[in-house]
Amino acid sequence: MIDLEERFIEKKSFFSRLVIVYLFFGFLFIFFLYTTYSLQVYEYDDYEVAALKNKTKEVLVQPVRGIIYDRSGNIIVNNVPSYDLIIKPSKIKNPDNFIFEISKIIDIDKDNLDYVLENFSLKANYNRELILKRNLSQEEIAKFEVRGYKFPSAFIDVRYSRHNNYPKLFSHATGYVGGVSNDELVDILDSQSLSQIETIFKYSNGYQIGKTGIEKSYDKKLRGKFGKKIYEVDASGKLLKEVDFIPPLDGDNLYTSLDINTQQIAYDQMNNRRGAVVAVDLDSGAIVTYLSTPSFSANEISNGISKKSFDALLNDNNKPFFDRASQGRYSPASTIKPAIGLFGLDTKLIDWDFSITDPGYFVLPEDQRIYRGWKEGGHGKVNLNKAMVVSSNTFFFSLAYKSDVNELINFLSNFGFGEKVCLDCFNPDQGLLPNPEWKMNNLNFGWFKGDTVNMGVGQGYLSATPLQLAYYASVLANMGKQKKLTFIKKGNSNNEMDLPVKNISNLDWKRLHSSMIGVIESPIGTAKRLQELKNFKVAAKSGTVELVSTQTKEDYEIIRQNEGNRDHAIIIAFGPMPNPKYAVSVVIENGESGGSVAGPVAIAVLNSLVKE
Amino acid sequence: MKKKLVFKNFSIYFDQYLFISITLLSVMGLFFLYSASQGDLNTIIKQSIFVGLGLVLMFALSQPDPDFYKLFSGLFILIAFTLLIATMIFGKEINGAKRWLNLGFFSLQTSEIIKIALPIFLASYLYNKPLPISLKHTFITLFLIILTFYLVYSQPDLGTGLVVFMAGIYILFLAGLSWRFILASFGLIILSLPFLWNNFLQPFQRQRILTFIDPSQDPFGSSWNITQSKIAIGSGGMSGKGYQEGSQAHLNFLPEAETDFIFAVIAEEFGFIGVCLLISIFIFILIRCIYLAFNARDRFCRLTIGGLSLVFASTLFINLGMVVGILPVVGMPMPFISKGGSSLLSFYIAFGIIISMATHKKLMQK
Repeated sequence: MIDLEERFIEKKSFFSRLVIVYLFFGFLFIFFLYTTYSLQVYEYDDYEVAALKNKTKEVLVQPVRGIIYDRSGNIIVNNVPSYDLIIKPSKIKNPDNFIFEISKIIDIDKDNLDYVLENFSLKANYNRELILKRNLSQEEIAKFEVRGYKFPSAFIDVRYSRHNNYPKLFSHATGYVGGVSNDELVDILDSQSLSQIETIFKYSNGYQIGKTGIEKSYDKKLRGKFGKKIYEVDASGKLLKEVDFIPPLDGDNLYTSLDINTQQIAYDQMNNRRGAVVAVDLDSGAIVTYLSTPSFSANEISNGISKKSFDALLNDNNKPFFDRASQGRYSPASTIKPAIGLFGLDTKLIDWDFSITDPGYFVLPEDQRIYRGWKEGGHGKVNLNKAMVVSSNTFFFSLAYKSDVNELINFLSNFGFGEKVCLDCFNPDQGLLPNPEWKMNNLNFGWFKGDTVNMGVGQGYLSATPLQLAYYASVLANMGKQKKLTFIKKGNSNNEMDLPVKNISNLDWKRLHSSMIGVIESPIGTAKRLQELKNFKVAAKSGTVELVSTQTKEDYEIIRQNEGNRDHAIIIAFGPMPNPKYAVSVVIENGESGGSVAGPVAIAVLNSLVKE
Repeated sequence: MKKKLVFKNFSIYFDQYLFISITLLSVMGLFFLYSASQGDLNTIIKQSIFVGLGLVLMFALSQPDPDFYKLFSGLFILIAFTLLIATMIFGKEINGAKRWLNLGFFSLQTSEIIKIALPIFLASYLYNKPLPISLKHTFITLFLIILTFYLVYSQPDLGTGLVVFMAGIYILFLAGLSWRFILASFGLIILSLPFLWNNFLQPFQRQRILTFIDPSQDPFGSSWNITQSKIAIGSGGMSGKGYQEGSQAHLNFLPEAETDFIFAVIAEEFGFIGVCLLISIFIFILIRCIYLAFNARDRFCRLTIGGLSLVFASTLFINLGMVVGILPVVGMPMPFISKGGSSLLSFYIAFGIIISMATHKKLMQK
């Protein structure tokens, strides 16, 4: 036992020690209060945001793509609704019973039913919807309208699919839409300051993006902007209630310059032959007809096609996916002659009175090599006018022979050869306007005089797309002035090109036009067979692209046994003359005769366009 | 004032300050728990029964003379040890831990009993030892403390184990542990920290301490709780979001909202003002305990009041420190507020004993 004095010491010691421990706790509590004060007062804003972020979930709402119209306001590409039966699993207590009951009204196929039952509890936990049946028939919709009141947790919702009303006519022009790759999706969302999150789809196919044609070129305009639904969620991610809805901004409609009727006529005229037709409104540079054949169905590519049919299209020797109008390269052949003639006038190498005697061939003085015309024995005495009408090669061989190659190339580039002529075409090829430097770099050969001579009749390395040929035709029709081509109805007021000529007068242009009218009207014209088809005067220049070089008609008869060796048929035309409104180019692969094979297509297109 | 109401045949021992403040805390606790449990009446009814039972128990345990506790402290600790060992053998295993003993009507967390029995026993052992406490008594005491700690720790329950350990150390310190010994053991503890780290901590406990030191190590692992707790507290601001309006608690972002993290719910819904009001009640209770300790009738009573009140203070601080992120996450309820019968009852028992120690005067002083 301890005595009194010791008890006093003990009491003092106890008190001081208790105070020490309490002081220690005092400090701890002050520190705790300070921390709490920091959290709740200094950092309040950050934590308030964090709490808000925790409980909100944003879901994207897909916009609907714009509609594509033709120049008369008829719909080419539309969004077609389909009706899906949607259920809310979180509101359904007994799924088996529910499905049994609803099956009495609407037949549900087994595959989808398995999927629904498998995902039922998951979707219920997170309060998400499930598609019970896609593409309801009118009858099913009607049945559900009558008896749907029994199923408050089911409803019918609209989902769209992209639908081309003329899937074969415009497969290349409007192109098609398809699923989006992850990179594309990130780009699209980035451009709208969004990130990749759950999305409420308006399209049954999910995210869509223009893959080709106008759908691709104008994707940004057609696409629209995603909206947002903002939900309150709990920690598990279950949607509790909708807090806010920012509606999506649907895509802009696109009013194109395309003409459905003419497109149909061009399509019928082409009759599945390999080739392309491009027609241009001369006032605005707007493309009114844009056809590549054979074609495929844009809808099948967008909305589903069997692997077998797809493979058949892919392996088809006629290459239906290939867009000949903007990617097919063809030698312009004799259609180049008006440009060469203009070059001769501009450089004063010739005038309208200048003439030569055409023996049917041209001999290159340097090496005595012979360049033949299409007619044995030649055309006799020919001036520029007659050379155009009868398509004398000899005249243009000798004119090209006298030309400076660089000046000539520069002159041709102003007609769109080797140039980008369309503002909004999908992935256009620029053809080839060769020059000495190009030949050296690519073929390791210097430029021969013969190359220039060949260029005079549009053969050799020179090649152009039907799109470029249409542009070229419109430059000729507009007497050297032309706007770049576009698919937009209003065309483009800027971008007008003025051919940089020094010595060509209006009168020269008029005489050139009249020579081109002569191609059809003159009894010796190369396209005189078109006289009966046309409704008005048309200026034209036909061409025949030689694929295999032959010396005699008999040789050609042998090689033409193989269809792929036959000459391509080309024509450029514009009308009605003397005040042309439209220019057109037609290429028919292995069609053999520009005037009589490609010509009727061009005339039919012009007739249709002018009639409207 | 501590009171001794004298009736014809018997006296009633009662401290109105502690009784009122503890009753107030208990009622507030039920009110907070209603929100934290998202209006689960079942939880509230169960908790109310414990509160009622606890208040009666506290009153009842205030009545015996401190000598009763002194006399039977050995028996108490024996019972407590028996319960601990029984838990090790027959305990209910929940989430890999054996902490509960099923008593049929109620699962008892036996470490809550030893938390009270140990300081009382140590006080009864040390109250008559001369100052400073001799090495022999120091080591006997330390042995007992470490043995108890180890039994609780191996359940495993590090949090309660630490409180039990601290409870013993408080008594030893208050009883007059020599300063030289204190300095020497501090040195030893610091030197042996790496050894303890490697051999005594479970990997998940090490991970908790590591993420406490550097929370960026795993934002969605063990520090997810603490991140959500901080968001709840911080977003409460000065005046709170309002009763039952806390999104963190009500949308289930806050884990363990009814038990360990109930303070975060309170802070979210009542803001810093609410926090200060609540904490001031706790501080009032602690200050009242110092006063009672200073005026206790003898060394045994002083030690017991001091020790038990510090157990209360430690539990509270470990809970608060964990919830605001200044201490690592160890499971620790908030006294009188968190859901859970054992913890609740243990503090009513502790305060019943404190009141007994404070209100009984020595017969000879009459």
